[in-house]
Amino acid sequence: MSKIHVSTTLNGDAAEFLCEPTSSLLDVLRDTMGLTGSKEGCGSGDCGACTVMLDGEMVCSCLVLAPEAEGRTIATIEGVAEGSVLHPVQQKFLEHAALQCGFCTPGFIVAAKALLDRNPNPTETEVRYWLAGNLCRCTGYDKIVRAVLDAAADLRQERTPA
Amino acid sequence: MNAPETMKPFRHVGTRPVRPDGVDKVTGRALYGPDFKAPGMLWGAILRSPHPHARIVSIDTKKAEALPGVKAVATGRDFPTLESLVMHVGEGASDIVDVSHNCLAFDKVLYEGHAVAAVAAVSPEIAREALGLIAVEYEELPFVLGVEEALAEGAPVLHDTVFTKGVEPRPDKPSNAAMRVEMGGGDVEAALASAAATVCERYALEPVHQGYIEPHACVASWNGDGQAQIWCSSQGHFAVRALTASVLAIPQADIRVMPLEIGGGFGGKTTIYLEPVAMMLSKKSGRPVRLAMTREEVFRASGPAPGAVIDVRLGADAEGTLVAAEVEFLYHSGAYAGSDAGSGVASAIGHYRIANTRVVGTEVLCNRPAAKAYRAPGAPQVNFAVESAMDELARKLGIDPLDLRLKNAAAQGDPQTSGLPWGRIGYVECLEAAKAHPHWSAQLGPNQGRGVAGGYWGNYGGPSTVNVSVAEDGTITVATGSPDIGGSRASMAIMAAEVLDVPYEQVRSVVADTASIGVSMVTGGSRTTFATGMAVVQAAEEVKRLLCERAARMWGVEAGQVEWRSGAVVCTDGAKQGQAMTAAAIAGNSLHSGGPVAAVAALSAKGWLPGFGVHICDTEVDPETGHVKIVRYTAVQDVGTAIHPDYVEGQIQGGAAQGIGWALNEAYIYGADGRLDNAGFLDYRMPVASDLPMIEAVMVEVPNPAHPYGVKGVGEVPIVPPLAAVANAIHAATGQRLRDLPMAPDKVYAALHPEG
Amino acid sequence: MVVMPPFDKEFFGTDRLDLAPHNLFDLTEKLDALAPGFAAIARPRVHYAVDGELETDWTRDLSQAREVIVLPRVGGG
Repeated sequence: MSKIHVSTTLNGDAAEFLCEPTSSLLDVLRDTMGLTGSKEGCGSGDCGACTVMLDGEMVCSCLVLAPEAEGRTIATIEGVAEGSVLHPVQQKFLEHAALQCGFCTPGFIVAAKALLDRNPNPTETEVRYWLAGNLCRCTGYDKIVRAVLDAAADLRQERTPA
Repeated sequence: MNAPETMKPFRHVGTRPVRPDGVDKVTGRALYGPDFKAPGMLWGAILRSPHPHARIVSIDTKKAEALPGVKAVATGRDFPTLESLVMHVGEGASDIVDVSHNCLAFDKVLYEGHAVAAVAAVSPEIAREALGLIAVEYEELPFVLGVEEALAEGAPVLHDTVFTKGVEPRPDKPSNAAMRVEMGGGDVEAALASAAATVCERYALEPVHQGYIEPHACVASWNGDGQAQIWCSSQGHFAVRALTASVLAIPQADIRVMPLEIGGGFGGKTTIYLEPVAMMLSKKSGRPVRLAMTREEVFRASGPAPGAVIDVRLGADAEGTLVAAEVEFLYHSGAYAGSDAGSGVASAIGHYRIANTRVVGTEVLCNRPAAKAYRAPGAPQVNFAVESAMDELARKLGIDPLDLRLKNAAAQGDPQTSGLPWGRIGYVECLEAAKAHPHWSAQLGPNQGRGVAGGYWGNYGGPSTVNVSVAEDGTITVATGSPDIGGSRASMAIMAAEVLDVPYEQVRSVVADTASIGVSMVTGGSRTTFATGMAVVQAAEEVKRLLCERAARMWGVEAGQVEWRSGAVVCTDGAKQGQAMTAAAIAGNSLHSGGPVAAVAALSAKGWLPGFGVHICDTEVDPETGHVKIVRYTAVQDVGTAIHPDYVEGQIQGGAAQGIGWALNEAYIYGADGRLDNAGFLDYRMPVASDLPMIEAVMVEVPNPAHPYGVKGVGEVPIVPPLAAVANAIHAATGQRLRDLPMAPDKVYAALHPEG
Repeated sequence: MVVMPPFDKEFFGTDRLDLAPHNLFDLTEKLDALAPGFAAIARPRVHYAVDGELETDWTRDLSQAREVIVLPRVGGG
């Protein structure tokens, strides 16, 4: 079986790769592109550790076939910070100690950023339901939810003209 | 950030700085077990048994070996034959023969998912294809899954080498009862006969999985000269080294284990599954080999916590003084011995003063994956039974459940079940804090109920090695051998900065590999902040002493004329009085002043103390569906001293969430064919964010006098009380007593609608 | 000294022994002489308590100790 050539935009840059027709986007990101920030916790779309943005939509990259990325725009955890400047969601995760082992963290940050991009003022309940597709076994979610709410407040502040 | 700040005489201890490894972990740069790749690496895969119990008649690997791209195939026959040897490198003792046979089955498979053969190939696709070409001939055997069934006459016996330990006379035939532990004293029967109120009930739990999100993974590279490197995540890379070397019968120093970041363990990563197999494939192929489990393999083949059947009898006089307690339990041990019956016995009723006690625990072998440590291993199961029974007793007596606990709570000097006196424990303080908390007296809504439960965990100390070194510019590196599973780098840096009285950012903390630091026991038993922290303090104190000594020599004054003040050496007397010398000035001159400044502390930490917790839970039960919602949750815990309160709270919140999951939804579900039906996160339902409220962690600080900063272990205690706290809350909400976990909607609905 | 379960039944057939060890290594040897095989499992499975406190330092001098208890080692996760 011959490999498929795929052209994409990955974290803002043009990127090409060859993949098996059966490869998942997650496998290509991790094994071909060397972007191991997206994690495989389950391979079945149940844990959210592999969450990436595909054309602005939040997806489990383990459930996307790599050839489906042809001509599309992919954003991963590696592209969330602007250079060395952390995104407010990342910064608040650190300040609130919203990670323990940190394995689920990339998926949570990509998902939380996606929430705040469309809803700058979510309630606690909205945060909890938006993040219900991301499993964390360490924190009990308390500090994660606080971090996201605090990041939302920060972002609102930023957007408010002085 | 929701606990009251207490006044502390510390500069750093009790503060909440950002963890040193934080940026790597929020940007996706941190390398975890499955993230590592070596040049020329092969991809491995493991063939697993479809049968719960079978004899391996033959394994034909020829076709797999002939597949282009396959570089090695291994079976249990490739491993050396070992003598039985019980090792305690992780937490809980394991026989190295069992460890070996669990990595790759030898003559029998003991559970569905048991590893039978392994392949290394140039791609994962080819490796998986090759598995399908391995022909295994099995002779299927009768299997047994339940603990009572496994002890019944005529049950299939898993091992003909297991004769129940702890009974006399020694049994003359093998059985599935691997070990029996009994403790207690007094006359339970007489005391129960005279009691004003008694509770006599049976409770049951299913095995549950630790549920770490990172599947097991490793890369092994075994060179022709016998030396090897293993890159993996674990709770203890020294345990990985010791176990892997023992399974392969090679010297430990020939293996260098590089610790990758660990994506959760909760006890489940204190052993090995993949490393010796990857090593064998590497030896056979001459190349580095990666092995990683899928989530399904994690469920089918790595250790769940034991399920249990538990009988409890409690008796109290009319005033509510406990007069007798009897607990008898059977724990699922799975395929091999070692399911923490001893811990269960020690964790059952020691939090109460009871004159007449009898606690008996039995580990039972059955055709499930080998049980493995899970956060306070052996304690939540028996605590669920005892603390549910306490609630039932309180209702019979008409006494407030917190008051009943307070009346009987053990304090310093009271005997544990073993008879040893408790040290400076904080159970009474936790109960009082719970009673005073606004949650305890808050109004409840319709269909809501409030439950409370208390519990404890023994914690541990043990061996740790730490190297504290001073760079030429005076900055400090703390190297430990303890994997950082939840922020321990930050705690270690805080403790070193506290000793040296320097800014937190001047101290950087790393986890060193097995060749770069001395032996350290696993991050488990809630020991790391206590024991490794003690070594950090000791090594930092020695660095401080060395810096003072060097400064005195550089100044040409007596040692008694200098002292350490605000992160520098100050001359207090003589010619140089009033002058200060920084660590940078000293270490930067190491060539001319006696060499680099560094200190190693290698110790076996003693004086650990157990931790106690009291949890309050409000549930709302939907009478239409049986769904239980946790509407409010408060977890009070004696933490000794919180070094980094955020991560202490995080442990408490995370442990409570795991306990809530165990109470409400999690269970291994087997089909009649002995195969696991829910080997995935969709069907094995762990709590998600929308299932839980905020979990308020209330830290009570009763410092441990044996630790320089008063540390007690905190990680394991919080999974102990939630099971009964939830069950008691459901009872309060519905009047229905559920004694069988999980309390999933179908069971709750059935209890609410007995007519069907 | 007192031998706690399961070691009383598993090894010694009694829960009381009168030995005069100079330290806990010596005690382990003496217990192994009474019940061959005990020393092999002592390190992974046994905790000693001296005068009511767990003692992991087996070199500790026992000449002043009143009582040693042999009890099962409890593991954590």
